[in-house]
Amino acid sequence: MCRRAILAAANAAIISITCGLSPAPAADRKFTVALIPGLTTDTFYTTMRRGAQIAADALGVELVFQGAPDFNPVLQVPVLDAVIARKPDAILIAPTDVTQLVEPLRKADDTGIPVITVDTFIGTGMYQIGSGNADFPLSSIASDNVLGGRMAARALADAIGGEGAVFVANNKPGISTTDQREEGFKTELAAHYPKVVVLETQFNENDANKAASQLQGVLARHPELKGVFGGNHFSALGAANGVQQAGKSGAVKVVAFDAPSGVVDDIDRGLIDVAIAQHPAEIGYYGVMSAYAHLTGQSIPVSIGTGFTVINKSNVHDPSIAKYIYAD
Amino acid sequence: MNNLNDNIPLLEVRNLSKHFGPIKALNDLSMVVRRGEVVAVVGDNGAGKTTLIKALSGVYRPTAGELLLNGKPAIFSNPQQAREEGIETIYQDLALADNLSIGANIFLGREPMRRAFGFLPVLDRRKMAEAACSTMALLDFHVSRTETPVSNFSGGQRQAVAIGRAVYWDAQILIMDEPTAALGVPEQRKVLSLIHKLKAQGRGVIFVSHNLQDIFAVSDRIVVLRRGVLAGERQISETNHDEVVKLMVGG
Amino acid sequence: MKQIITENIPTAPSKHVAPQADHADGTRTVMRYVADLRAWLFLAMLILGFEVWSRFSFGGTFVLNPFNLQSIAIFAVAPLLLAMGQTFVIIAGGIDLSAGFVMGLAAVVAAHVINWANPIMPMPMAVLTGTIAAVMLAGVPGMVNGLLVSRLKVPPFIGTLGMFGVARGVAFLLAGGTTVPVNNSFFAGLGNGRILSVPYIVILAAIFVLLMHYVLSYTRFGQHNYAIGASAQAARRAGININSHLLRLYILSGFCAGLAGVLYAARFSAGAAQAGEPLLLDCVAAVVIGGASLFGGSGTILGTVAGAFVIAVIQYGLVFTNVAPFWQFISVGVVIIISVLIDQTQRRMSGGRISE
Repeated sequence: MCRRAILAAANAAIISITCGLSPAPAADRKFTVALIPGLTTDTFYTTMRRGAQIAADALGVELVFQGAPDFNPVLQVPVLDAVIARKPDAILIAPTDVTQLVEPLRKADDTGIPVITVDTFIGTGMYQIGSGNADFPLSSIASDNVLGGRMAARALADAIGGEGAVFVANNKPGISTTDQREEGFKTELAAHYPKVVVLETQFNENDANKAASQLQGVLARHPELKGVFGGNHFSALGAANGVQQAGKSGAVKVVAFDAPSGVVDDIDRGLIDVAIAQHPAEIGYYGVMSAYAHLTGQSIPVSIGTGFTVINKSNVHDPSIAKYIYAD
Repeated sequence: MNNLNDNIPLLEVRNLSKHFGPIKALNDLSMVVRRGEVVAVVGDNGAGKTTLIKALSGVYRPTAGELLLNGKPAIFSNPQQAREEGIETIYQDLALADNLSIGANIFLGREPMRRAFGFLPVLDRRKMAEAACSTMALLDFHVSRTETPVSNFSGGQRQAVAIGRAVYWDAQILIMDEPTAALGVPEQRKVLSLIHKLKAQGRGVIFVSHNLQDIFAVSDRIVVLRRGVLAGERQISETNHDEVVKLMVGG
Repeated sequence: MKQIITENIPTAPSKHVAPQADHADGTRTVMRYVADLRAWLFLAMLILGFEVWSRFSFGGTFVLNPFNLQSIAIFAVAPLLLAMGQTFVIIAGGIDLSAGFVMGLAAVVAAHVINWANPIMPMPMAVLTGTIAAVMLAGVPGMVNGLLVSRLKVPPFIGTLGMFGVARGVAFLLAGGTTVPVNNSFFAGLGNGRILSVPYIVILAAIFVLLMHYVLSYTRFGQHNYAIGASAQAARRAGININSHLLRLYILSGFCAGLAGVLYAARFSAGAAQAGEPLLLDCVAAVVIGGASLFGGSGTILGTVAGAFVIAVIQYGLVFTNVAPFWQFISVGVVIIISVLIDQTQRRMSGGRISE
């Protein structure tokens, strides 16, 4: 009796494995979708995973989450290769480089695994246009970081009354997302806020200690400094501490990009004035949804732009806003 | 020195053996070292000199036989014990910390402490420097800058520091392994003169060397080893180079 | 107590062979002093350079502006604390690559423990509990490093690299992939308050530096550390227990990283696993600029202090004087290279003496 049950279970397992490996799509079988984040140790991507898991559970899709601890193509490509070897039904990936991930991802495409990029992209981010180069992914689902930068610019300019000196505290040059935020920030100020002076950008290599020191250096040289835009979490955290150490809380406004959980306290205590939250859970959710739609024979949009939410002291505890704060 | 003790040797080795499995590195060796006596140990490579040194300095536990210090049996389970009993080994490669001063080297591992401000224990550098000056003066080596690291000194001077350390801690028996091998001729002479001083101070010296000229210059007696056994023992005054070489190679 | 023999020693039989007093030649002595003090010379030159630059380019002062001094001091605290332990380790001929992530681990642990303790005890007690827990826990990777290096004879570079990965992974696991916010106003006050315009964390760091200077320069532990770095063989023959020394050495380095992590958490009111990641290279650079040799055997705490300030002054000064950011990397790199060149030159000259 007992033995028969075990045998039956084993048979079922074998059947399900065989099904999992068979390339032919079937509406009634369980799909496996792999999500490869830019890095596994960032709350942005763990939040994305949460959104993806919600969609996967709703659709009965199995979600595999595998990635490297650093945002680095050298570390991401082996993870990608290992995932391709497992032959999932679809791959969602946040590519760590616009160029270096093209060929590794083409391997997946050649094997017949559909690829959707989330958050970051390869090539130009314009897919399925017949250019034949890096346009093979089916869809790009991402926040528009240039737009996010523009929103940060508007929030900061409004906070300082439309005039005064500001600067960008940023991680390091060469990362598409943070570069785009800076670009959007500067473009918006140049176009609509002529009285705001943008000083030299300071790169802190994701070191809050250095970001704090840089803020103080800029402030010592430019006592008229009115505001700072932290292009990512640690840049904002450090800049906010630099303002606090200088005794300028309130006088120098801090706008942060991204909204990990600590940002609530920082806004409450007045260290950070505004946070521009992306919607990573939304990216994950629509990533899995799009993959499922494609696997079940539906057509999907080549590009889905997810939005931003501006969080400040007035709305940080509003439940409809709090859901945009990143959490696993 | 006490006359009563003069007849008892400083060190007596009785029927010492050290076997490594089937290999008899040292077999049934007996020898004595008396006060103020320099005993040379010679032998070809593999004759058992190094094994003998290590057994005497506490690195090896002998397989059989015994050591007597001032007539009393002694067993060393590590080099510290041998050192505490007054047997100091001066290795060919010096064993000094090059970046430290003479005083710090003399006291290495046994640094004197004092209390600063009446409560804070700190290294007593003045005591170390004074000990360095007085000890090295005994060896006719007059130190002017006591904080200079020993790396600034010549090979012979460093050898003198190693000897000085043994003298300061009142070693009665100094085992010197090829002390002149790495030195130029003038430096070799200095070391030989140091050995004369140790002898004059009543210490026993076991002098391991390949250099027969040096051996005939400082030794009182010579012990020749061959393949782990005693090949012969001679008073220096009663032998010559040829005889020693014959004993070594077994001719 | 054993005494040296004090009887009159008969004159040496051959007077002409008596060793002479040492006689280091003058230029070498000068070179040595330059090498020993190079970090302070660098620092003085840098400060002077920035002062001149500030006065000519915009008529302001660099060093006489107390805000600048404060900012630089705050900036230097974390790398300096990491560099304290690293100085000991490098003098002993090792290196501790895990220090950066041990700092992050301690920051995360401090944050968690303080959050846990907040509701059940007064704020200062919670901070004390969190601090002790974090620093003690930071000693654990140090202990493993020490065991790997001493008992298992793993080269320090490899052993601590392994611990780099382990500490990093554990820190990220504990942090849950995010920064852990701390809600304790006493802790935040400790991290950001000041007395007579000197920040508390700078005072704490200064006391710690003095303590480390005492340990390295005035105790047996420090003395043995130098001896082991110069020749482990010599130290062992002198009866120093090298295994136990190495164990304590790497635990000390872990404690330093732990303290740095706690102060980080206090300052930013958050524990972040990657808090110390960028500081690892800075702390090694501070030690090397401060005059220590990566081959072991030399270095001082005060030199490392100067080294840490050299890096802080360059990075801060270039922001203050409005220089394009990439020059910061270049100038720190150049200072490291010059520093190592001075060390090599001095080494070659004193090395030449031995072979004479």
